[in-house]
Amino acid sequence: MNFKAQLRIVISEFQKSIKIWLAYPILLVFWVIAPLMWLLPFIFQGKALVGGMHSEAFKNLTGSPNYLPFVLIGAMVSTYIFSGLWGVGNSLREETYWGTLEYIIASPASPILVLLGKTLAEFLYASVNVGLQALLATLFLGLNLTITKILPVLVIVLLLVIGFYGFAIAFAGLTLLIKEAHGWVHTIEWVFYLFSPIRYPVEVSPITKTLSALIPLTYALVAIRTIILLNKNLGDLHKIIFILLIMDIVLLLGGYIIFRLSERRTKVAGTLGQY
Amino acid sequence: MNQSLRNLLKEWFAKAKHYLRAIWLENLKEWKIELTYKPDFIRGLIDPLVYALPYLLYGIALVGGRTSENLNRLVGTNDLITFVTLGYIFVGFLNMALWAMGFALRKEQHWGTLEAVFAAPVPRWVFALGMALHSTLHQGLMIFLQIIVINLIFKLTIHPQGILPSLVVIGLMLIALYGFGLMIASLTLILKQGWLVSEALSGIMMIITPIAYPLSVLPVFMQKAALFLPTTYGVMTVRHFLIGEQMGFSLWTSFLRLVILGIFWVGVGMLIFEIIDRRTRRSGTIAHY
Repeated sequence: MNFKAQLRIVISEFQKSIKIWLAYPILLVFWVIAPLMWLLPFIFQGKALVGGMHSEAFKNLTGSPNYLPFVLIGAMVSTYIFSGLWGVGNSLREETYWGTLEYIIASPASPILVLLGKTLAEFLYASVNVGLQALLATLFLGLNLTITKILPVLVIVLLLVIGFYGFAIAFAGLTLLIKEAHGWVHTIEWVFYLFSPIRYPVEVSPITKTLSALIPLTYALVAIRTIILLNKNLGDLHKIIFILLIMDIVLLLGGYIIFRLSERRTKVAGTLGQY
Repeated sequence: MNQSLRNLLKEWFAKAKHYLRAIWLENLKEWKIELTYKPDFIRGLIDPLVYALPYLLYGIALVGGRTSENLNRLVGTNDLITFVTLGYIFVGFLNMALWAMGFALRKEQHWGTLEAVFAAPVPRWVFALGMALHSTLHQGLMIFLQIIVINLIFKLTIHPQGILPSLVVIGLMLIALYGFGLMIASLTLILKQGWLVSEALSGIMMIITPIAYPLSVLPVFMQKAALFLPTTYGVMTVRHFLIGEQMGFSLWTSFLRLVILGIFWVGVGMLIFEIIDRRTRRSGTIAHY
């Protein structure tokens, strides 16, 4: 199959995914608002525990005493992760429910190309969500997000999602084997909440601090918060950028290999059509 | 006692026995299905613990320890770990009403068994109550494990004499939540993609129920809305019994309002369930996805 034909598969899958999204416009509204709404308990908890919006103990851990932007940034950046987990990682399981998985696997197109189309659509959808969330956070919650900070933040986001989509592709392959993946997606989601600094600084416990070092999201969140809250630039973050690059290579390669192995094993076992 | 009254009572007892058996069998069916997927079942038991920990660690990060002077000033207890853990138990009960009960009918629809269940010779609410019984037992197990593990990690400090009255409070609260769950379950019959309703409602209820913070830190309109939720009284009264939270209203008021909310939500739940059930049968949309 030549490059043009492969590109057409990616574009067609991208268009299909976008069409499905656009069929449910209420979902876009929901996913813009929900992550910000889920933050409110953390804001109220902060008010209850420290009596205001600043905490010295928090500053000792994060460098910034203000916990609101900390949790806001965590919510926005994690949107990419969770949309990738559901939209890419769980996507083949969705195709099973729609009754279209067998057609995809049996077609001459590589499922990796199909997943690439889904990944691009998911990235666009998540970017629209995060863009609108950032707008709301800047207008109503006082997040200081200037134009000069957006470009370096985008570089870090790209480094984060490239590796993460590798992980999501591996997970999509595993769903062919384990079938009922819904609960596992939830568990992975909460592992991210627990072992990466989405909602709290992981430095608070040596266990969470150690385990968080294995998750790319940790490095991305530290870098993005350093840019936005501590006014640093990309030059100050070369170490984190290097770690993210290495993680991207490992996750992309690992993701591809795991997907191929899972796909082959499912075909050999003849369990593709099973639920 | 005359013959006709005796017959009436006999008939009533036979019917109640029939309904109770149906409720029990529905509960058993759910356990069997869940235990078929053992890894998923075990994962589900761990989930509530993982849900609660970020709230606890966030609290520790904010105050630099497990005690908060501001919390003490607001509710009369400074131990944020026990305060938040006890509050978080109620998330399990909220999930029970909004997800487990709320999705009872939608699940049957996915499995292709809704029509068969609806054709059975028992009222539909009996079926929903079977689901409620199962999810109460399941949530109870999950909450029990959650408390044990958090206690092992953080050592919770509670007044043991408050356990029994707390269970009474939870029992009263559950009645109201069953009514709420019944309403959500019926809504999924007309909305089909009802997860969005459950997701939105659970988001709102998680915010206005004072789980990880006292009611007084919420904006006034949220405080007023919280007074219509049984979980507000449940969480505050249980914490009052177990760690001495100052509630801002008397115990008598709390019990009375829980009873009123129980009657209200069960009434509303059954009414809406009945209306929607009739409407979907008339419009012939039960089988629609």
